[in-house]
Amino acid sequence: MNVNRSRLMNTTSAKPTHWQRRDVLRGLTGLACLAGPPGQALWAQTAATPPVSVGRSAADDWRAMSRVGYGPSPGLVRTLQAMPDARSWALAQVEIAWAASHAPPLISPDLANFNSTLPQLFEGTRRERDVRAQNRSEALPDADAAANRRMEFADTPDPAHFNRTTLQQAAAWRLGSCSQPDDENPLLARMTEFWFNHLNIFSGKGAVRPFAGHYVVNVARKHALGQFEDLLLASARHPAMLHYLDQVQSVAEGSSGPQGRTRGLNENYARELMELHTLGVGGGYQQSDVRELARVLTGWTVGPTEPSGFQFAARQHDTGHKQVLGQTFPGSPLHAGEREGEDAIRMLARHPATAQRISLRLARFFVADQPPPALVTRLADAFLSSQGDMRAVMRLLLASPEFWQPENRLFKTPMDFACSALAATQEARAISPGPDRRGLVMALGFLENAGQPLHRWQTPDGYPFDAATWLVPEALTRRADFALALGRQIPELEFLAPYLSPSTRATLAAQRPALRAGLALTSPDFMAK
Amino acid sequence: MSKPPDTQLNRRNLLQTLAAGASVWAAPALWAQPSDAILNIATKEANEVARGQFDAQGRLVVVFLRGAYDGLSAFVPHGDSSYYRLRPNIAIPAPDGTAQTTVNLDDRFGLHPAMTALLPLWQQGVIGVVPAAGSPDATRSHFDAQLHWETGMPGLSRASAGWMNRLADPGTRTSAVGVGEANPLILSGPALVKLVPKGLAATRQGVLGDEHTRQALMNLYAGQDTLSKAFRAGADSRRQTAQALSMDATPATMGTSEMMAANNGAGSPQGLVLDAKHLGTLMRQDRHLRLGFLSAGGWDTHANQGASNGALAQNLGNLASALVQLRRDFSQDNDVVVVFSEFGRTSAENGTRGTDHGHGNAIWLMGNAVRGGQWHGRWTGLTTGDLHEGRDLPVHHDFRAVLGQVLHRTQGLARPAIDALFPGFTWDNTLNGLMRA
Repeated sequence: MNVNRSRLMNTTSAKPTHWQRRDVLRGLTGLACLAGPPGQALWAQTAATPPVSVGRSAADDWRAMSRVGYGPSPGLVRTLQAMPDARSWALAQVEIAWAASHAPPLISPDLANFNSTLPQLFEGTRRERDVRAQNRSEALPDADAAANRRMEFADTPDPAHFNRTTLQQAAAWRLGSCSQPDDENPLLARMTEFWFNHLNIFSGKGAVRPFAGHYVVNVARKHALGQFEDLLLASARHPAMLHYLDQVQSVAEGSSGPQGRTRGLNENYARELMELHTLGVGGGYQQSDVRELARVLTGWTVGPTEPSGFQFAARQHDTGHKQVLGQTFPGSPLHAGEREGEDAIRMLARHPATAQRISLRLARFFVADQPPPALVTRLADAFLSSQGDMRAVMRLLLASPEFWQPENRLFKTPMDFACSALAATQEARAISPGPDRRGLVMALGFLENAGQPLHRWQTPDGYPFDAATWLVPEALTRRADFALALGRQIPELEFLAPYLSPSTRATLAAQRPALRAGLALTSPDFMAK
Repeated sequence: MSKPPDTQLNRRNLLQTLAAGASVWAAPALWAQPSDAILNIATKEANEVARGQFDAQGRLVVVFLRGAYDGLSAFVPHGDSSYYRLRPNIAIPAPDGTAQTTVNLDDRFGLHPAMTALLPLWQQGVIGVVPAAGSPDATRSHFDAQLHWETGMPGLSRASAGWMNRLADPGTRTSAVGVGEANPLILSGPALVKLVPKGLAATRQGVLGDEHTRQALMNLYAGQDTLSKAFRAGADSRRQTAQALSMDATPATMGTSEMMAANNGAGSPQGLVLDAKHLGTLMRQDRHLRLGFLSAGGWDTHANQGASNGALAQNLGNLASALVQLRRDFSQDNDVVVVFSEFGRTSAENGTRGTDHGHGNAIWLMGNAVRGGQWHGRWTGLTTGDLHEGRDLPVHHDFRAVLGQVLHRTQGLARPAIDALFPGFTWDNTLNGLMRA
């Protein structure tokens, strides 16, 4: 490690190597405009010489890369440049991402534990509980703590710290997947974020911890461009959600729980299912609907030995007559039991208020803080007519004029900023072979301080995306801390030059080379998506 | 530039207007300069509330317990037998003088044993409670209800400027400060507000500590656009904050609570103590800061909330420590600390030894101007027939009526100004004894 670090420093200061690297970069990006004199002169180039070839709009390219994905990496710029224009690239991503969502993600072997089977994850967390119960009086040794913080992992997690290790592995994969467009399709990573946040779970809640990463991959990612109701059902049955909103605890009034304790209904999941996951707060349901839906869902609980992690506990199910939004459950004797919940969830997923809510949130995520209502209506229509086919909805969104209109601005959230800064620097940071996770570790800390901790947004509403929340003065200066740390001792990021304003380029040109990468990432231009 | 669709203070409208205009960024309105013409149009109403009518004497600190804390476990109605009937597993035992039972305050109410640290303050008469207060809107949605409390406009489910921002004097550069949250709605709006991150992050200058780097950043953000202005304002503010807090962080005060906060302080009750300390320091060092905001999550106890011990007890203990900490910095005659949640929890425990979303809840007030050592307002007990929808504590007092008493007495706000701040609320004469004359 030390050897590599010193090599890295030499690389930055030793000119020949530096130029070589620059030449490689330039050759790879294929940007003819970059073939000018290196260094200061390059940054000093102004808009007088359009940096992007004729027929291309740098602004469109930036918007496509930053919104469909998490911003340019040298590799992504190459891919995009191979397409006729940004729109065709963006639209092509819908099909590519959909296909990719059906294949397992690329997970480095040392992280693979977080995406083990659910029975394995249940077993891991059970063993941790046992180990802790046996050693209640003494502090458990934690040899891996420091290494885990650095995102370095042993072949098998320390049983006493299984949950912590699993969560950190998930974080490492997630930050890699948003910032390495060669490994994970950019739109797929984007949609994974959107759905994870829409159906948010909080990994700070004890029982959720081991399952958070599995939930990202097997719920949000797997159904990212599929049918919304399949996504919703997958979420409803996943241990992370079952624990997060206490569905595991909700049983028919008076039925017996473990140790013969009498337990009863818990409304938490039923309420958020209607208020946040589907209809929205003005979606036309009452407190009585919340309670009835909670009754419908009694018996839905975790199945620690099931491959799905889910089971329907018929003995804890309320077999009485219920009515949700005027609909009777069970709808027929054949649909009694587990089918009631499935029917209710599908009903909610297909509701027009749901189409409206999902469309509004998508438009806020991809288009503008205050998206044009006409666009939201068209998206909702597409949602309803395709029965929630997210491919159809996303095709419409990315083909819409609104997506491309310059006045529809978006300011990067901390998550956007972290992933885009990692994406922009990943090639420059990867001097040594193998994964360099120092950047990921920095990003995780940055997100924590920025108030958007990864997988740890506490409330089920998920985080907002708007500038009103995230464009906060002191917080902007903290982006500088992260970006300058990330950009330290790496080559300048010339491939970003075409996307920066003349005044930013002039400011960078006046700086010593060692500061340029970090300052490019901190620039006002880089805050936009 | 286009005129906003209405003069209703609306953060979103402001944003749209700014975005449609020449400014580079759809920045939050609070960071546009007050001199911007468009802001003057949109904030006319706010300025009328504030200008001349807001004579800031005391300082007001709001502690928002997001997620609906269980007031019936904190301010325990041990004199009400229904309490023990409704909560067979999670009630706090009636006072018997031992450590695991309610701390007796009078024959009706007592303190959770984890909040014993507040007993001296109660005895000194500086802590008072309104046990059945809340929002007139009966929503059980956290997010809707929080929005109502933060805008001061129950029932209006759209974002507008927060009431603490509307209280802030737009003539003063920084008159309100929030510690912990990125940009809480209660502080958002036209007035410039200082926002400081939770935990130890607040104490560090970061790259701004290096003069060369700082200058390079200033060059990047030299423009007159909103984003550049925001960055420069942030750099100034952060340097001041870091200097103020690091001066104060002597080794003696850097105790274990700070360490805990650094590890866990994600808006958690544990982090609240450190955030409270930071708030006190910042408001002590900058006398222009008259309004302070703190918050903590982790109160949504649907399952296994515990009783004398357990998860909720731990949170309540941290809250009590934070209040004791705040009392050190806010003990001048007109300083008031107010603690509340967006609603209460069900009177009965649910099937999982927790509580679900309810309605009325206890509001806490601390300060020399508070007629403390007693509770205030109506209390009708927990008999089923007297509960809201047969399940929740009723709201006998609008939260704005409680705040109105505080603002009138300690902030010098005249009744019409309070009416303008909280449109549609009615002054509640039954609370006239809440504050000392």
